[in-house]
Amino acid sequence: MMQEGYKKGGLHPLTLITNEAVTIFKEMGFAVEQGPELEDEWHNFDALNVPKDHPARDMQDTFFIKGKPGIVLRTHTSSSQIRYMENLVKNGGNPPFAIVVPGKVFRNEATDANHEMQFYQIEGLVVGKDFSVANMKGVLLEFFKKFFEGEEVDIRIRPSFFPFVEPGFEVDLRRGEKWIELLGAGMVHPNVLKNCGIDGEKYQGFAFGMGLDRLMKMKLKVNDIRVSYQGDLRVNQF
Amino acid sequence: MLISYNWIKSYIKDIPEPEKLAELLTFKLCEVEGVEEKDNGDAILDLNILPDRAHDLLSHRGIAREIAGLLKLPFKENNFEEKEIQSESTDLEIDVQSPLCRRYMGRIIKNVKVGPSPVWLKEKIESIGQRSINNIVDLSNFIMFDLGQPIHTFDLDKLESPKLIIRNANEGEKIELLGFEKMGDATKERNAILSSSELVIADEKDALVIAGVKGGRKAEVDKNTQNIIIEVANFDPVAIRKTAGKYNIKTDASKRYENEISPELCKDAMEKISYYIKEICKDAEIEELVDIYNQKPEVKKVSFESDYISKVLGLKIEAEDIKKILGDYNYEYEVNGNNFSVVIPSWRLDLNIPADFAEEIGRIYGYEKVEAILPTGIPEAKDNDIWKKICLAKNKLVNDGYQEVVNSVFRNRGQVSVLAAASDKSNLRDNLKDGLKESIELNIKNLPLLQGNEVKVFEVGTVFLKDKEQINVAYGDKKNINELSLEDYYERAKDGFSDDSLVYIPKNDHDFQYFKPWSNFPFIVRDIAVWLPEGIPPEKLINIYKSFGTELLVKEPTLFDSFTKDGRTSFAYRLVFQSDDKTLTDEEINIIMDNITKKIVDLGYEVR
Repeated sequence: MMQEGYKKGGLHPLTLITNEAVTIFKEMGFAVEQGPELEDEWHNFDALNVPKDHPARDMQDTFFIKGKPGIVLRTHTSSSQIRYMENLVKNGGNPPFAIVVPGKVFRNEATDANHEMQFYQIEGLVVGKDFSVANMKGVLLEFFKKFFEGEEVDIRIRPSFFPFVEPGFEVDLRRGEKWIELLGAGMVHPNVLKNCGIDGEKYQGFAFGMGLDRLMKMKLKVNDIRVSYQGDLRVNQF
Repeated sequence: MLISYNWIKSYIKDIPEPEKLAELLTFKLCEVEGVEEKDNGDAILDLNILPDRAHDLLSHRGIAREIAGLLKLPFKENNFEEKEIQSESTDLEIDVQSPLCRRYMGRIIKNVKVGPSPVWLKEKIESIGQRSINNIVDLSNFIMFDLGQPIHTFDLDKLESPKLIIRNANEGEKIELLGFEKMGDATKERNAILSSSELVIADEKDALVIAGVKGGRKAEVDKNTQNIIIEVANFDPVAIRKTAGKYNIKTDASKRYENEISPELCKDAMEKISYYIKEICKDAEIEELVDIYNQKPEVKKVSFESDYISKVLGLKIEAEDIKKILGDYNYEYEVNGNNFSVVIPSWRLDLNIPADFAEEIGRIYGYEKVEAILPTGIPEAKDNDIWKKICLAKNKLVNDGYQEVVNSVFRNRGQVSVLAAASDKSNLRDNLKDGLKESIELNIKNLPLLQGNEVKVFEVGTVFLKDKEQINVAYGDKKNINELSLEDYYERAKDGFSDDSLVYIPKNDHDFQYFKPWSNFPFIVRDIAVWLPEGIPPEKLINIYKSFGTELLVKEPTLFDSFTKDGRTSFAYRLVFQSDDKTLTDEEINIIMDNITKKIVDLGYEVR
């Protein structure tokens, strides 16, 4: 009896993409952080300078938990960055630091080939005495150069608005000839630092966040992100 | 927000062509989502106004002001011929009883003639996608899209007396609302029952309007209206937002109020609409203005150093550069060496702290001038333990032959559920096992399409229990699934396994191919066994299967059995056929198999 030898198992492409992204950030000195998927409104919104009853809360469609007022499924992994900073200060620590938080996030919106109610993000946060927009561009450009190694890439930034940063940016990526809008970023709003007990006059830094499903789509040419979440092993092609 | 190019030109003449303008705005202000050139020489730009600029940029004047600043062009706040309005004494009384109303301006205008709008007004309104209703409504809308200030009009003769009361509604008070323009059917009506947190404009008997949100039937201006009251007011943004949300009424007016606008804007809007009503209705008698201004905002100042701006941007910006930018935008400011103190114009509610000027100066100066520089001085730090445990668990399970799946968190059953999900699955999973079970069933059905000959899957993910969430690890096959917490899994695994490295697709993987989507049509499996004489390699068979299997052969043929007897070897291969666009029939596959068999026989081999 001869048989095709049993192959060892395999990882989901999202894990492979996440691991690659994390590796690139680690090479730039980032440490990985994690946090809960159920969050209170403080960590998901208020601490991030998104006040209650403010139109900015409409920018994200949030899942609220039944019978648990003030608890939501996190809409971004920024909430874990708040937890990180709170803990740092509580334990007597100070900037500088650089962290990335990869993880699952949730939006209450209709699903299609580009949207799911659950998806993965990786968000970065770098705070110190003088980390600047130039450094933010440096980190992001380096990331894309390595992530799309062998391709000609460039980035550019445009004005945008997210309550937790000021100034805020939309970051476009160019691969070859074409520019595409890819992620949001900005200089951490002094209120966010203050909310975590960090002196916003003394420290400054930048933050960014991007969709890992989107990166997977781009890198592996997956046409529909929904195939990721169906438990179907046909996605494990890599 | 739709912006008319010609409308902008009424403020500043020398602006670049629409496409050029769109590019300028995209890189210096906000994204322009589309430019539509019109037959009449106008062009419509679709601007994605960011929430922090909704205070001043949901208006043509606001956009024009920005363009003038960016292009260093002269700008006049008024684009109409200001004439002294001859106003007559008034009986209008305005009683503001609620702090939710910051300013209320009212003016009676008598002897108006409600009718179709003049062509210029109709064109203007329609150019930005609004429907022309009548001259009075159109003028109100025109001013709103021009200045960003909503305006409401009442039919004076339908009121109990010439008195408006701005008060919180009585609990249970009813109001018959006007139809929803958005539904394109102005006759559709709706009644609302109000609560005491809501602000209304009332006469001495009834609520006439839900302030800032929606007009009521009682004092509606119609074709017989002769005398009107013009309302130009400013309301508390949070109250408007809550009310608009409660009734699910989002109007162009409520949108502007809930994003907050400056009460200073009222004056310009009242002057402008009075002027245009007089232009359109020559016999109109304009009465004196009544202005109840209870909450006048203080003039803000923001101070910053030019060095601070440079430090945030990572780019040396000189005080001279900042002076030029502030000058181009007509800011009033004082400068002392590197220190700037800027008087914030009333409409710039978004400018409050030095960081806001890092953005203002940065975007106008040009973000493209900021170089990409890698940061230095990041201290080494350890990764979070949970992350390392997750990596270790995944690596071990792969090493043990399991395939990873990522299932949906949303399920039919669970201990925790979400409110108002966009899907029917509103519970959060309390275990990974149920999802894995479904995944195993699905994949067993597709087994011929997969690599390997059994289905072994795992998932590492969060489950939601009544009072906590927890990261679990589950793994198994069709016989058995194990599930335990990440902590427990790690404790058991760590002694024999220590690899928590990050596995990803190697960069120099020469076999790398992009993701291949699969067909959703059923597949057909055929097994074929052939005797080959000694010395003939089975690759010969594979080549035949591949060349005669047509494009319907979806997978590399897999050898599932072979044995040698009397100097010959039997090779049994499994072939899987599937079409991208239809359900295959047995007949179609029979033809392919016949061709394969014929070829094999022609070569002198025996098909078993």
